[in-house]
Amino acid sequence: MRITTANAYRSTIDSLQQRQQQLQQSQDRLTSGKRVARASDDPAAAARAERALAAQSRAVADQRGLQASRNAMQQAESALGDAGEAMQQVRELLVAAGNPTYGDAERANLGDRIRGLRDTLLAIANRGDGAGGWLFGGQGATQPPFADSGGNVGCTALAGQTQVQASEPMPLTLDGQATWLGALSAFSVLDRVASDLQTPNRSGPQVAQTVADGLRDVDAVMGRLQWQRARAGESLNRADSVESRLADVTLHAQTERSLAEDVDMVQALSDFKAQQTGYEAALSSYATVQRMSLFQYLK
Amino acid sequence: MNTSSLFSLGTKAMAASQAALATTGHNIANANVQGYSRQQAELASAAGQYSGSGYFGKGVDVTTVSRAHDAFLTREAASARSLAAMDSSRLELLRELETVFPGGEQGVGHAAGEFLNAMVDLSAHPGDASTREVVLARAQDVADRFANAGARLDALQQRVRDELQAGVAQINRLSANIAELNQRIGAAQALGQPPNDLLDQRDQALSDLSQLVQISTVRADDGSVSVFAAGGQNLVLRATAQTLRVQADANDASRLGVAVTASGALLQPQALGGGELAGLLRFQNEDLVDARTRLGQLAAALGGAVNRQQAAGLDLRAPAGSGAPIFADVVATQAWPQAGSASGASVTLALADATQLQASEYSLRADPGGAPGVWQLTRLSDGLVRSIASGSTVDGLTITVGAAPPPAATDRFLLQPVTRAANGMKRVLDDIHGVAAASAAPASNNANALAYTALRDAALVARGASGGGASTLTDAYAAAMADIGVRVQGAASGAAISAAVATHAETARSAQSGVDLDEEAARLIHFQQSYQAAAKILQVAQTVFDTLLHAA
Repeated sequence: MRITTANAYRSTIDSLQQRQQQLQQSQDRLTSGKRVARASDDPAAAARAERALAAQSRAVADQRGLQASRNAMQQAESALGDAGEAMQQVRELLVAAGNPTYGDAERANLGDRIRGLRDTLLAIANRGDGAGGWLFGGQGATQPPFADSGGNVGCTALAGQTQVQASEPMPLTLDGQATWLGALSAFSVLDRVASDLQTPNRSGPQVAQTVADGLRDVDAVMGRLQWQRARAGESLNRADSVESRLADVTLHAQTERSLAEDVDMVQALSDFKAQQTGYEAALSSYATVQRMSLFQYLK
Repeated sequence: MNTSSLFSLGTKAMAASQAALATTGHNIANANVQGYSRQQAELASAAGQYSGSGYFGKGVDVTTVSRAHDAFLTREAASARSLAAMDSSRLELLRELETVFPGGEQGVGHAAGEFLNAMVDLSAHPGDASTREVVLARAQDVADRFANAGARLDALQQRVRDELQAGVAQINRLSANIAELNQRIGAAQALGQPPNDLLDQRDQALSDLSQLVQISTVRADDGSVSVFAAGGQNLVLRATAQTLRVQADANDASRLGVAVTASGALLQPQALGGGELAGLLRFQNEDLVDARTRLGQLAAALGGAVNRQQAAGLDLRAPAGSGAPIFADVVATQAWPQAGSASGASVTLALADATQLQASEYSLRADPGGAPGVWQLTRLSDGLVRSIASGSTVDGLTITVGAAPPPAATDRFLLQPVTRAANGMKRVLDDIHGVAAASAAPASNNANALAYTALRDAALVARGASGGGASTLTDAYAAAMADIGVRVQGAASGAAISAAVATHAETARSAQSGVDLDEEAARLIHFQQSYQAAAKILQVAQTVFDTLLHAA
C-alpha cells in the first residue's frame, strides 16, 4: 500500500486536530466541573438534572412560603399572648370589683379601665401581619377584619384560615371569627361587665352576681384565646418539621443534579493526563516522521 | 548494424529517460494538487530490425503518458464523501439547534417553573404589589424565552436557506464546469491520447459535486460523463448542464426545496441520498419541525393553562373581575392550502383545550373513499390517521371546514397549530392588579394563587388518551431537551462513522492515484541514471565513429 505524501499529511493533521479537540473537551470539563454541558453529552442525565433543578427551585419557593407562614404564626402567637395578658388584667379588675367596701365611683372607675382593655383587645384583633394582611383575617379580608359599630363588634373576614403552599398547606392567618367572636364574643363580655360595673346603686348580691358571671365568661374567652394560641404554636412546630423536610428535598435535589451532570474529578484528571500524553506522543512522532524523506539522503 | 543505429538508439533512450524524468517532475510538482493522479511515461521497446544474424532491437519508444487511476475507487471515495457531507452538515445544524434547548437556569423549562414558583409568594402575600410585580416579571421572562427560542429557530431556518442557496450555486457552477470539461476532453481524446490532467480535473469536479449532492455517472464512448442526481434527474448530459434553484415548498411555504430551474420540478428530499443538500433538507423537514412543534406545544400548554386559571379567579381591580389573560393566544387559527388545492375553501382551527395539544403538524384531505362531509386527518408526527367531520375536536383543536366556497375532492390542507406558537409567546397583562390571586367562589383571598401553584404538578402537556402519557411542564421540557440531545448524539456517531468511511475510501483512492515523494525521489535517481547511461551510449557511438574516421 502506497502512503501518498499529501494524504499522509492531511490525515495526520486531521488526527492531531481530533486529539486537540478531545484535550480541549477534557479541559472544559475540568474547568467547568460539568460532565454534561449540553444535552447530547448524556441526554438521560441532562433530563435528570433538569428535573432535579426544578425540584430545587421549587423547594426554595416553598421555603419562602413556609417563612411567610412562620412569620404570621409567630406574630399571631405573640398577639394572643398580649391578649391573654389583657384578659388577665380584666380578670384582676373584676375580682377587685367584688370588694364590698367599693362604692359606685370605684366600680365605675374599674369599668372604665375594662373598657380601655377592651379597646386594646380590639386593636390586637385587628393587628396586621406587616405584609398587608391581618393576623386574624380568616379566609381573606380587604380591610381590618373587626369593626366597632355602635358598641357592637362585627367581623368582616370570612371564617376559616388562609393557607400558603409550602410543600404542604401552612396557615397564614387565624380564624378571627372563631377566636374573638364565636358563641361568646370577647368584646360583648367586656362591654357587658363594664356597663354593669358602671350602673350605679346596685346591691351587693347584684355586684357579686356580675363579678361571678363576668369571671366565668372571661375565663371562657381566655380559654378560647389560649386554645388558638396553642394552634399557632402547633403550626410553628409543624413549620419546623416541614422546614427540615424541605432541606432534605433540597439536599437530595442538589445531590441528584450533581450526580447527573457533575464531573468525577479523579476520572476527568486521569482522562486529561492520558489525552495529554497521547497528544504529546502524536506531536513528537509527527515531527520525527515528517523529517524522514529520501530527499534528505540524496545530497 | 552500423554506428548511426547506435546514435539513434542512444537518442531514443535519452528521449525516453527525459520523458520519464519530466513525468516524475510533473508528479512532484503536483504532489499537493487535490485530485491529481500520479502519471507515468509508458515505454515500449521498438520492434527489432531483421538481419541474417537475428533481430536487432531499435531502442525504446514512449508510447503514452498514463495516469494511475481506478474508476471504482474514485467512485467509492466520491460517494463516501457524499454521505459524510450529509451527516456532517446535519450534525452542525443539530448542534446549533441543541443550544436553543439549554438545560439549567438558562432554559425555558426553568423560567416556566420560576413563574409558577412566584405564585407561592403571591399566595403568601396576595395583596402585596411587589409580589405581583414579581409574578408579571416572571411571566415576561418565560414569554421572552419562548419568543427568543422561536426567533433562534427562525434564524436556523434562515441559515438553511443561505446554505441551500450557496450549495445550489456551487452545484450549478460545478455542473457547468463538468459540461465544459466533457467538451474539452472529447476534443482532446480525438487526438488519440488521454488528456490526463483534464480527466483529473473532471474527477475532482465530480467529487466536489458529490460533496453537495449524491450523484451517479454514466460514461460515454466519446469520453464524456453524464451526471444524474436524486434518482434520475440529469445535471449534466455531455456538454450541457442543467441549473438548479432554491424555491419554496409548494406544500408548505415556510420550507424550502431544490428544484430544476427549467422544469420547476422539485427534487424529492428523500431521493437525494447524500450530500450537504440532503443533510440540510432533512434537518429542515424533520429536526426543525419537531423542535418547533415541541417548543410550541409547551408555549401553548403553559399559556392556555395559565389563562384558564386566570379566568377562574378574581383580580384586584376595582371592581374585581375575573382575571384577564396573562399570555397571548398562540395557537394558529388558519390552515394552509397545499399544492393542488384550487377551490379556495378555507379550514379554520380553534383552541378547545391547550393541554391536549400534541407536538405535531397535521394534514387534512377529503375522505379518499368519497364519503360526503368526511375528512381524513393525518397526524404527521406519528402518521395516525383519523376520519373527522367539520367541527370535530381532535387533540385539543376544533377543526372547521368552511362551507363556502365548497371544498373540492382534491383539496389538501396543512395544519400547523403550534408550529409558530413559541414565536407568538408574549405577556399581554400589564396591570399588576390584573393577576387573579383570589378565587371567584367562595370569594376569598389567595385560593386562585394556590391553584396556580398546583399547576406545577399538573399534567399540562399532551393530555388526552390518544397522545400517550401526559406530563408536567418540567418533565415535558426535560423530555424535549433529551430528545434533541439523543438526535445530536445519534447524528454525531453517524457522522463519525461516515467520516471514517470517507477517510478510508479517500486513503484507498490516494494509495492508488496519489504521489509519494519518496517514490518519486527514487524514480528521479533511477531515471537520472538511465539518462546518464543513454548519454554514455552516445559517447560510445561518438568514439566508435571517431575510431572509424581515424582508420579511414
